Order: sequence, then C-alpha cells, then structure tokens
Amino acid sequence: MLRFLTRRLLSAIPVLFVVSLVAFGLMWLVPGDIAAEIGGTDATPEDLAAIRERLGLDKPVWERAVNWYGALLQGDLGYSYLLNRSVVDAVIERLPVTLSLAGLSLALATLTGMLLGILAAVRHNTLLDQGAMIVALIGLSVPEFWFGILMIIMFGVWLGWLPTGGFVPLSEDPVGWARSMVLPAFSLAVSQMGVIARMTRSAMLDVLGQDYIRTVRAKGLRARGVVFRHGLPNAMIPIVTVVGVITGVLLSGAVVIETVFSLPGVGRLIVGAIQRRDFPVVQGGLLVTAGIFVFVNLLVDVLYAAFDPRVRDGRGG
Amino acid sequence: MAGAAEVPLAAEIAAGRRRRRAAFLRRLFGHGSFLIGFVIMALFVAIALAAPLIAPHSPIASDYRNLNAPPSALHWLGTDAFGRDVLSRIIYGMRVSLRIGIAVVLVTGLFGTVLGVLASYVRWLDGLVMRMLDGLMAFPGVLLAIALAAVLGPSEANAVLALSITFTPRTARVVRAGVLVVQGMPYVEAARAIGAGHGRIILRYILANALSPLIVQLTYVFAVSVVAEAILSFLGVGPPPPAPTLGNIIAEGRSSVQETWWLVTFPGMVIAVAVLGLNLMGDGLRDVLDPRQIARREGN
Amino acid sequence: MRRPGFPDSLFRLAAAAALAMAAAGSPATAQTRGGELIVVQGSNPPSLDAMTTSSQASRNINMNIYETLYGFSEGVKPIPILAEGVTISDDGLTYVFTLRRGVKFHNGKEMTARDVKASLERYRRVGATKNLLDPVADIAITGDYEVTFTMKKPTPTFLEAFSSPRAPAVIIPAEEADAEAGKTSFTGKGPYRFVEYVPDSHVTLERFDGYVADTRHDGPDGFGGRKTAYLDRVIFRIMPEPGAQVAALEAGEVHLLEQIPVPAARRLEKNPDIRLYENMPWAFLTFILNIAQPPADNPKFREAVQVALNMEAILAIATEGLYQLDHRWQYPGTTYDPGDIGADLYNLGDTERARRLLKEAGYKGEEFSILTDSNYPQHNKAAVVIAEQLRAAGINAKVKMVDWPTALNLRLQDSGWNGWTLMMGIEPYLGPVGLIATLTSPARPHFVKPDPELDALYQELISGPTVEARQATFRKIQARLYELKAIIKIGDVGLMQAARANVKGFRPFRFPRVYDVWLEE
Repeated sequence: MLRFLTRRLLSAIPVLFVVSLVAFGLMWLVPGDIAAEIGGTDATPEDLAAIRERLGLDKPVWERAVNWYGALLQGDLGYSYLLNRSVVDAVIERLPVTLSLAGLSLALATLTGMLLGILAAVRHNTLLDQGAMIVALIGLSVPEFWFGILMIIMFGVWLGWLPTGGFVPLSEDPVGWARSMVLPAFSLAVSQMGVIARMTRSAMLDVLGQDYIRTVRAKGLRARGVVFRHGLPNAMIPIVTVVGVITGVLLSGAVVIETVFSLPGVGRLIVGAIQRRDFPVVQGGLLVTAGIFVFVNLLVDVLYAAFDPRVRDGRGG
Repeated sequence: MAGAAEVPLAAEIAAGRRRRRAAFLRRLFGHGSFLIGFVIMALFVAIALAAPLIAPHSPIASDYRNLNAPPSALHWLGTDAFGRDVLSRIIYGMRVSLRIGIAVVLVTGLFGTVLGVLASYVRWLDGLVMRMLDGLMAFPGVLLAIALAAVLGPSEANAVLALSITFTPRTARVVRAGVLVVQGMPYVEAARAIGAGHGRIILRYILANALSPLIVQLTYVFAVSVVAEAILSFLGVGPPPPAPTLGNIIAEGRSSVQETWWLVTFPGMVIAVAVLGLNLMGDGLRDVLDPRQIARREGN
Repeated sequence: MRRPGFPDSLFRLAAAAALAMAAAGSPATAQTRGGELIVVQGSNPPSLDAMTTSSQASRNINMNIYETLYGFSEGVKPIPILAEGVTISDDGLTYVFTLRRGVKFHNGKEMTARDVKASLERYRRVGATKNLLDPVADIAITGDYEVTFTMKKPTPTFLEAFSSPRAPAVIIPAEEADAEAGKTSFTGKGPYRFVEYVPDSHVTLERFDGYVADTRHDGPDGFGGRKTAYLDRVIFRIMPEPGAQVAALEAGEVHLLEQIPVPAARRLEKNPDIRLYENMPWAFLTFILNIAQPPADNPKFREAVQVALNMEAILAIATEGLYQLDHRWQYPGTTYDPGDIGADLYNLGDTERARRLLKEAGYKGEEFSILTDSNYPQHNKAAVVIAEQLRAAGINAKVKMVDWPTALNLRLQDSGWNGWTLMMGIEPYLGPVGLIATLTSPARPHFVKPDPELDALYQELISGPTVEARQATFRKIQARLYELKAIIKIGDVGLMQAARANVKGFRPFRFPRVYDVWLEE
C-alpha cells in the first residue's frame, strides 16, 4: 500500500508541472496586461511603461519564468498586482467558499443521485425507474448557471425564503452559512445528481444481476437487506470513480455559480484575475485548483485500491 | 495471392458489412432513447438550417422604439434591449450553437484521435502525451476555456478552438483506451503478421474498432459544447455581439431577469432541450455500440 | 439602534443644519445614530490607496475615507477642505496653503504641514494623475500648519486641477509617504475609517469617532463641507451581477445600489420600500475615430460618420433610456456651456448625405473596425448600434469586442482599430481642462494623431487669465471639435441609483457619500 501511495504521489508531479507550464504559457500569450487596468483610460505609453517596470512586466519572458519557478520551488506563489496580498493568502481566503460550495454540492449530488439510482435499480423497468431516470436526464441537461438564475428569482425574490447571493462564513454564523449555500449548492448539484443517479443505477443493475445476489435472494433475504448489505458495497467502486471525475466538474462549474451568486470563491478570483491580467493570481490560482483536483483523484485512487486490491498491484494509470 | 480469389471475398465482405450496418441501424432506431433524441436533434437541425426562411424578423436589426417588449402577436418571444426579435435571435442562435457544436466535435475528434492513437501506438510517446493530457484535465474546464478565450480573443472560431482544446484530453483518453483493447486482438496481430503497414493497421483495424467509444464520447462533447458556448458568452468571452447566440441572449438579459424574463427563460430552455436530445442520442449509441451493455441486456 | 437622546448638542445642531440643506426635503425626523449600511457596487476597487487610482469603483469608497486640501463643492467650485484657505500671490507664482488645526488621522495623530508635504511628494511619484503637480516647482513647509507651493509659471487653472477628485491628492500620514503604490495601511482622516477589504466580497468601513468636522459649513458640500457620520459601520459589497444586486435590494439584504439597471428602476418606481435617485447628466458617451489610419484619416469620411449617426437610437439602446441628447462638450447650464455650436451636425441620422460624402471621400468599402469592450454594456451596446447605422450608410463596419485590458492596449496602437466607444465619467464633470487634456498633447490624444490647432487652443485655455477669456476659448474648442470630427459626442448618459426607503439623508453625488446618511428603523 505504501509503495502504491508513493508511486501515485510521484505521478502527480509531472501533472502539476504541465499545469504550471500551461498556466504560465497562457499568461505569456494573453494580449494586454495589468498596466492598462492600473493606469486607466488616460495613461500615456510612458505611464504604462513605468507601471510595467514597477511590476517587472518589462523583463523578458525567460527571466519572468525563472523568477516564478524559483519562487514556486520555495512554495511562494507570488504577490497579486491588484489585491494587495500574496497569492497564497488570496487563495486561502477564498478556499472556504469554493470548498463549501463544491463539498455541499458533492454531498447533495451523491446522496440524492444514489438514492434515485438505487430506487430505479430496485424497481427496474417500472414507472418509478423511468421517472427517476427522466429526472436524472433532465437534471443532466439543464445549464447550471441558467438554473441558478431561475432559483434566485424563485426562492430569493418571489418567495423571499433564501438570500439571493453572498457568502456567510461557517465560523461566523452556521445558519447563515447554510442559508447562503443552499441555492448555489443545489444549482451546481443538479446536473451531477443526474450523472450519479445513472451511474448508480447501472452499477446496481450489474451487481444485482450477478449470481451471488441471486443466490442470496433465493435464500429468502428481504429485498432491502440484499440491496444495502450486498448490492451497494459492490456497486461502490464505479460510483467512487465517478465521484472523482465529478469533483473536477464541480470545481469547474463552481466558477460560473460563484459569479451568478456573487460568492467570493477561488473560481471568481481566477476569472477576475484573467480579465484584469493579474498574472500571479491566475498562475497560482490555477495551480492550486489543479492541485486540489489531483489530490481528490489521488484520494479516489486510494479508496479504489482499498476496495479492490488488484489495482494496488497492477496498473497505476 | 491470386486476384481471382480476392474478388468474391471482397464482395462477400462488402455484403456482410452492409448487412451488419442495416442491422445496426435497425437496433439503433429501435432504441427508444435514441429515437427521441434523434427526433429532437433532427428538429433542431431543421430549424437551424431553415433559419432564414422561418425567422419572422432579422436577428440583428435593432429598433430603439421597441426595446424590451414582452411577448406579443408581433414578437412571439418579445424583444431584447436592442429591440431585436428574440424568437428570430433564438432561431439563428440555434444555428450558431449547431455550428460550434459540430466544429468542436470535428476538431476534438481529430485531435483526440491523433493523440490517442499516438499515445497507444507509439509506446515511447505514451507517457509524455498522457502526462500532458492529465495536466490539461487537471484544470477546471471552464477556467481553461476562459483563459484560452482571453488569449485568443472573442470570436466564434476561437470559441471552437478554446472548447476543443478543453475537451480533447478526455476524448484522447477514450480513444487510447479503445485502441489498447483492440491492439491485443488476434486479428490485429494477424494483419501485422501478413505485413500490413502501420497506416493500414491503424486505419483499417484499430481505428475502425475504437470508433464506438469515440462516437459516444463525441455525442457528449457536442452536448457539453452547446452549454459551454452559453457559459463563455455569459462570462463575456464567447462570440462577440451582435452575433445571435443562445448564450449571448441570456447574457444580455441577465441584468434585468425580472423585467425581461423572456430573454433568459426561452434560450435556456432551448439549450436544455438540445442537450437532452444529445444525451438521449448518446445513451442510445452507447447501449447499441457497447458490447458489454448488450451482453447484459441479453442476459437479463 | 435608535438613540433619540444623543447628548452631543453640537452633533445635533450639525445634523439639523444638514437636514435643512438637504434638497430632497426628507421629512423632519431626528437622525438615528448607529446601524450598518450595506452599499453594493459591481466591481472591486482596484486600489484603496486613493491617490494611485482614478477608478470610480475606488473613488466610491475612498472619498469616505480620505480628504484633500481642496476639493469641489456641490457647484463644482474649488473649496478648502483640509486647508483653512490659500493665498495666491499677484504674479500667480506662490500659493500659500494654511491648514486646519486639530484635524486627526485615523491613527490618532494630528495632521501637520509635514504630512501634507510628504503626501504631495508621494503624489508626484505614485499619483495616477501626477502631472497635475507639474506646474509646481517646489513644495515647502513654511510653518507647522502652512505649506507654500512655488510655481514654474502662472497657471490660472491650477487650483481647479488640484481639487480634482479623479485621482485625488489626498493627505495621508507622513510615516506612510514612502510606501509603494497600494502598500499603505489606508489611513486617511475622513469620517469613516478602513477596517477590512476582502476582494470580490466586501470592504468594511467604521465610523471614525475622532473625526473633526469642518465647522465652516452647515452640512456636506460636494467633496467637503461639514460631514457627520451616523452609521456604526458601512459595508461596500461587491456583486458583479446587476440582476442579483436588484434581487438583494428588493429582498432587503442590502440598502443602496450604486447603480441600478434602468428597466429594474422603472419596475420599482411604485415600490414603497425603494427610493430611486437619478443622476443626470452623469457621463459623456463618445465615439472616437483613429485619424491616423485610413479610412478615418480622411475628413470627408469622418463627416460621413458624423452625419450618418442617429444619436437618439444609440443612446436609447446604450443607456436603456436614461440619456439626454446633447451636442455640447460641456454640460448644459454649466460655466463653460458653449451654446449651439455644432448642433447643426448632431443627431442627423442622414444616410443619404453620408453616402454622398463617402463617394466624395473615395471610400472603397475598406473594413472599419469598431473597438469595444465586454465589461461596460454602454460601450459595447453603442458599438453595435453605431456599426449597424454605419453599415446602413454603406460603411463596412465591424464590431471588435475584446475585454477591457485588451481594448485599452489595442487603442494605444496606431493601427488595428478605426473607431472606439468610450464613456467619459469624471472628465466632463471636472470642467474643460480635464476633458481637453485627454485630447491634446503632451498626452496622446484618444484619436491618435494630435491636432495642432486643438493643442494651441488647450494652451490658450489653461493660460486664460479670467473665466470669460476661458469661456471664449472653450467656444473655439467646441467649434474645432466639430470641424475635426475626430471624437464624436453621442450624448449625455445618466446614472440611476436606488436605496431602501429607510435610508435617509442620501443625496446622490459623484460618489455615494455615506456620511450624513442614517437608517430609520
């Protein structure tokens, strides 16, 4: 197990290297820079040159790359041009928002998705099955940002039950936190709920169709017992894998949902930084989000290995 | 090999292929999900193609005396903040969505296939290509697309490129997995043994058989790109105005959702229906093309 | 937190006076001290180091935290704020500023001439419009509460420029004067002090209890006057989505929207919980041509563009209906209002005449690329409508929409764009000097190639000894701008703001003044 872990950890390094390379390369290629944002509409070319010099943007790209990677190896992601804080601080400040959002959506999507999927599998080829799958499919097809806007109008404005946006830290006010998270988490979860429901259903059908389950059933065990004691644990492997993929999708979707619901999360940080050319924040922020994604998938792999020893010993990819 | 023996063999193979194709199509259209999805998408494509004929107004002619008008007999789905007819914009927007979707599918399919085959066929490239793809996949897709769109500048072609780069890694993985499975099969070994060239092996034997998962994957890529266009436009990096895209219509309506609900609601519904259709088609294709699934269905 | 029996009689006096001044004529209720006001704006302040930025998003917040020696009154005249006054020598070469005594910074220290000199020296280094101090040769401390400027040459418009809130020359503690741009602790001496800034979320201010009000006035006057902070705390929340902002206001989660979309405002007109505040005029909407490049290097072509445009249609769409047709390069009724000059060329929408002019110009259908950005709806909506109108006149116009930083960079290049839509917010408000400076040398004019005649008129303007002389010059400038047709005035744009009905004492201005505002329960 330890060897497996080290191997997986080591394999994350080239991935993160590629991420850093792409992030840096994109910011090198992007037209425009922050000088115009700081200088404003009336800045003369000389003003802009002065700003660039102050920020080191006048240096050749290789020198900027050397500086960035040099700092990166010491764990320093640099300093934001605009936010008056280090990139690490800026990201850490916002992680609770994005993690709350992605985590809650993941929980919501997994719970409701698995429930729907199990129901559909157990009542295979009934109206309930079809109904559940139609719900899953519609959920899967609805654009989440559009759904989020509709949610705001319905629950925020018409009914007035929930806040229309903004974030309340968990440590400050747990109830306020929950209220501020319900709509965004739900909007984000809807499509992934569909994915998990379909995955669960097909995994459960696979398992329930197998001989040993038939045997157990034949022995006269009650249906619920069969499903939860024997079916579900065996269906977990594909479900766990899908959860790993979904984390990436949720981190991606969070970007848009954060904008729609005015949540100060990492996604919005990076989008804003791209739009304003705050290079260190874009590069550092992308590296951290990619890091989270890689870490979650590592975790999934470990879980996977725990469920299935063959994975540990055999292939690594 | 004698030419005389080859002729009937080739004819036989061709006939067999035709039979198999007919059987395949029968199975496909007999599949409920696929059929519904197909009908939805056929309707979508028909509307998009016939846009100039059926759109009641110009999608870009503004009318400053008739801004933000609610749905009426003249403008069935109302007008937008430029006084443009929303129904016409949606119809033309479907065209753009379709164009972007198809282009992304083609480019992604091409990149994905080339990279996937390279990775699986050329052993020493595998590690390098896969690490690169892993790296790209580690980015949240939306962020990568936004960054790419910022680099390339907003235009329809650049949106296609940005989305293709974003979706290629997963597609390449699918192709690679498919090829790896096929590569070990006896008939590929046999082809190699009789001295078939690399190009021939890849095209005739490997690709043809790795095609099924690729097609299923690309159907989903199509669906995702329709939504992704809307997201890019929503965040201001999609095809620039006055282009009538579904995402642009939503983006322009979002500052006053409550007052001009028709701007946000209708294009969103069109997107949802299109994605639903594509998902249904994808499901059908997967069921019919994936032998494991067939085995299960037949076993049950 | 209603505290009707607040003991400070001076405070009550000031409050009553402020109320009497309030043009809005709020009902005569007592002000309530305390409470938390939530103001919403769409974008992050790029910096809270006031002198380093000319962004409106920063000004909205900063002008509640910082103060300047001189600033504009409600009637856009320079008035002393931190200064007691200024004595200008007859030759116009020496300005002696005396300072108000006993004025405290947020860190508790008293402001002296040392802080003023240090702040202004810093402004010379990092100020966003540092050239406004160019006419000043030397700043000397000539007393604990006195600084003396020695000028390079007489500059009659200096005090106006020095009072500009654009990138305000604010006074900060001398200890912070060495800090790089953006690296201060945001210590000012305004009625509210800085507490916290979480980008994309909020900026928190708290009442500065040590604030020493300017007792020369009865209430706030423009950027100065007697300011009274009633609220315990003010939060500027950053919400990018206008729709979400309106929803939050309706739900009562926030109190004041710095800008509300016009359709939403129209819908909320009858809502008793919401009050709307219209600011008209707020900005100029302009269309800038690149006169260094064909086809707009040809004056005939530019004339075709000028006569082709239907300003009413552009404004109605770009502003969602909140506009006034105005051909003038100064707001109507202000000191420098140039009258009818140019009106005959404005808002013609004459496609036929444009076509004739294009033929005369020898225009061959070259592409005419209109640069605009995705960040400001007024810019890109105007660009779309302008392109449509120009196409109708036979010009091969295309909209080139990029994000704001790219647009700002592109338009600094001599080629690659032919037209550019720009809203000028603060410049027209500042009067003719600030506006024309952006169109003449030594700055790079927006339309790329300097016009010698306009440059000469600008020099005439800033050295005009009297208001009358400068008014005459400005009429010549107005005429020249319509001859040149390098920058086309589309019209005046308004700004709609909205607040909950329980927000009292708010009077719309160039930034949301959160002093002299209180919450009724």
